[in-house]
Amino acid sequence: MTTAELTSSLEPGSTIRRWRLPFSPWHLVLVPLTFVLIVPLLWMVVTSLQTQGEANRFPPVLVPHDPRIANYADAWHTAPFGTFFLNSTVVALVVVVSNLVVCSLAGYAFARVRFLGSKALFLVLMATLMVPFQVTMIPVFLIVKWFGDNVSTYLGIDHLGALMLPNLATAFGIFFLRQFFQTVPVELEEAARVDGTSRLGVLFKIVLPLSMPAMSTLAALTILTSWNDFLWPLIVITNADQMTVPLGLSYFQGAHQTNWPLLMAGNVMSLVPMLVVFVVAQRYFVQSVAGTGLKG
Amino acid sequence: MAEVEFRGISRRFGDVQALHSLDLAVADGEFLILVGPSGCGKSTALRLLAGLDKPTSGEILIAGRPVTRSGPGERDIAMVFQNYALYPHMSVFQNLAYGLRQRRTPRAEVNRRVHETAVLLDIDELLDRKPRQLSGGQRQRVAMGRALVRRPQAFLLDEPLSNLDAKLRTQVRGDLKRLHREVPVTSIYVTHDQVEAMTLGDRICVMSNGEVQQIGTTDDIYNRPSNTFVAGFMGSPPMNLVPGEVRGGTVRVAGAALADLPSPDRPVTVGFRPEDLRIGGPWESRSVPARIDFCEPLGSHVLVHALVDADGTGPEGTPSNVIAQAPPGTAYDSGARVGFSVAAGKTYVFDAETGQAAPPPARDRVITA
Amino acid sequence: MSVQASGQDAAATQGAARPGWVGRLRRSEGATGWLLVSPGAILIGIFGLLPVLMALKLSFQKSDLLTPDTPWVGTKNYRQLADDPRFAEAIQHTIVYTALFVPGTMLVGLLVAAALNRSVRFISVYRTAAYITMAVSTISEGIIFLWLTDKDYGLVNATLNAVGISSQPFLASTSQALYVIVAMTIWGWTGFAVIVYLAALQGVPSELHEAAAIDGARPFTRFRTITLPLLSPASLFLLVWLTINALQLFDEVYLTTRGGPLHATTVIVYYLWDQAFVQFNAGYAAAMAYVLFLVSVVLTAIQFRLARKYVHYS
Repeated sequence: MTTAELTSSLEPGSTIRRWRLPFSPWHLVLVPLTFVLIVPLLWMVVTSLQTQGEANRFPPVLVPHDPRIANYADAWHTAPFGTFFLNSTVVALVVVVSNLVVCSLAGYAFARVRFLGSKALFLVLMATLMVPFQVTMIPVFLIVKWFGDNVSTYLGIDHLGALMLPNLATAFGIFFLRQFFQTVPVELEEAARVDGTSRLGVLFKIVLPLSMPAMSTLAALTILTSWNDFLWPLIVITNADQMTVPLGLSYFQGAHQTNWPLLMAGNVMSLVPMLVVFVVAQRYFVQSVAGTGLKG
Repeated sequence: MAEVEFRGISRRFGDVQALHSLDLAVADGEFLILVGPSGCGKSTALRLLAGLDKPTSGEILIAGRPVTRSGPGERDIAMVFQNYALYPHMSVFQNLAYGLRQRRTPRAEVNRRVHETAVLLDIDELLDRKPRQLSGGQRQRVAMGRALVRRPQAFLLDEPLSNLDAKLRTQVRGDLKRLHREVPVTSIYVTHDQVEAMTLGDRICVMSNGEVQQIGTTDDIYNRPSNTFVAGFMGSPPMNLVPGEVRGGTVRVAGAALADLPSPDRPVTVGFRPEDLRIGGPWESRSVPARIDFCEPLGSHVLVHALVDADGTGPEGTPSNVIAQAPPGTAYDSGARVGFSVAAGKTYVFDAETGQAAPPPARDRVITA
Repeated sequence: MSVQASGQDAAATQGAARPGWVGRLRRSEGATGWLLVSPGAILIGIFGLLPVLMALKLSFQKSDLLTPDTPWVGTKNYRQLADDPRFAEAIQHTIVYTALFVPGTMLVGLLVAAALNRSVRFISVYRTAAYITMAVSTISEGIIFLWLTDKDYGLVNATLNAVGISSQPFLASTSQALYVIVAMTIWGWTGFAVIVYLAALQGVPSELHEAAAIDGARPFTRFRTITLPLLSPASLFLLVWLTINALQLFDEVYLTTRGGPLHATTVIVYYLWDQAFVQFNAGYAAAMAYVLFLVSVVLTAIQFRLARKYVHYS
């Protein structure tokens, strides 16, 4: 059966057509629709290949006469994009690993271990999810500053540590993994415990291997959030050596406001890592959003 | 109410031919059962009739009017889905009224008919509830009510009892029979359960591989199966089918003559129902020698499972399983040697190649011993 | 005798309990549980919980974030907020933005998801294209839309001219800038909304559509009477989630307009950031943050209350 028949099976009189498209008529809707959605991205790529002269022409040049790849090299040399990428990567990696470890330990305890005060503690931690970041950002700035002055400068203002510290563990991560751990059949854990495995052994040998989809989902979400975060880096980082990609990009934009081909080349470069992560891990993003959306 | 007709209906899904040129006429007010294993095309036939799917070729008529090109809403039929498909966000009343409202029935009329139907099905107490607040049996009745309330030309039921537990299923089966007596709408009922098929329908249409195997009353299907598929599908346990031959005017299994059949010599498939078997000694005449496998006492009777070296190949051959229904208290040791004889006129002979009953006139197939 | 015996028992248990108590604690589930949650609890305590209290304290103080001198000022910050015309303006902009952005994103998400909810060839390519805006950072999005809506060379003005509409100033105009930001953030959130709605659409059993079709409902009626009500949990989630995020709009404003022109796009969080980290009125900003917090809690509560009537859970 062709897909056209499938989708139109509910409409009366659609089987017996005088003529038939060689493809589903829905493509006639879907192609323009998705085109409109990605036009901003396409236009960014087109501009990144134009000369400055082409960019400053109206009506715009839709197809660059002689695509100027050199814009990318120019952008790369104009701003320390290499440093931005390195900083973003380091921050994202540390935050992801820390979140996976810390949140899985706590999530497991809240899911399966019975201990005094667990319900109260869980509620208190979850309550922080309700608080907008804008409420906490000023005190967190002061706390991070304190860490920099009293513990280590690397944790303080204008250092990557300032970007990591507040995000090492999230209440959302604990909640998310707890929900998943609760779906792991308790019989599996009991069987392992009867066989003499300790609590931690059960977590590492039984529960975590079964929870890879949830861990991957949390990892994917955490990478994206960490990489694309802007407001917090804006507050704590002023030194170009310590800037992450979005912050660096915004400074780059401020410095080259009218050089659109250069800006767009930088923009494309800044987008590539997350687009790759997103396409590769799309399944996990879809699960996380759809899952929290329908259960939460 | 109206008659329903399939004329040469075929449906192909890619490479899979779900229906092969189906011809089927259902009389006005008749209760027809479509039965067969999963994937036999019975649900496809029902969905084509409902207009939820379109045939690759052929014509469907309801009340003599071709409806092949009409949408499901224009055919004036009602359907009860396997999982009931009750609108979860509407009350029972709204579920029943939905179809009437789509047809712009006046409010007073909607109220009257919904209440009438609810009383008929004994769900008038539940009208304000949401589907999730109902038990399985209640949901089933609401689904029936949603179909009935519209007074459709035909009623399509897609395995409507399969989500009920065994006890409730028996009860609802009785309710359905009574309901059809009170409201004799043309009904087409799809099931894979042969008990439902045999007890509910005026006629049964047995399907397999997208083709009709046999259409007839329960008596026809059970006592005069037209091929080995029907014979092996209907009955619990089903008919025993073992390889045999016709030689010298007798039907033989494992060399032993079972019944006379004036017919040319050839290999055949021999069938006999468990309840028509008598277990005796292996030496008795007109009996098939067999080895007992095990016995299953079921209270009212015992099912005796035995192995027959039917194809005569000896120990290295694959023996055929034969099940016999024996009186309670029957017991045999595993490995005991016995002989099966078949009640007079209860031996069925099918062509070994095609599986078709032979010789063709149904009555003559029953052979006098 | 019996009294004595029981006394001895008690003493014995007590004596035995002492060395065993530590061992029991070590072996007990309670210690394991606390051990496992402590890293997370401490981190969230320091960076999630403590700041809530500090912010509350700060909102009754005067602070420039740099000097340790933070005198108490009572409710002055809050009283000042009530009289601050720029704060009133920021609230107004935030309300307009939220009122357009939230329904706009939901509508676009629903329409795109409905179009994508079918099994045709290359559907996963179409879906990825629709989801992809989720991966685009707010800063990239801002730069792209700055260029798209450029008043002299922008693609949008070129398109408008092509259909006979004159060029618009967009982000350079006090009357248009906020709406441009609405449009760009709707685009940015489309992927998210589509994922949510598509998952919900796929959860609607096809039999319900078939039953409604047999009941005589036309496609649009089926969508309105069956699909839409069954999507209500997803709609509620989006309503709440998008509202919370709309109230926190900052990045795009910072990048494209810096709150201008003439404060036309100064929303609450932009004003808050400006007060805290540009003007160094941290106490005043903290009070503003608490007002924002309160507003979002109240709005969420109202939305859930409304949901009781309209949201159907199966």
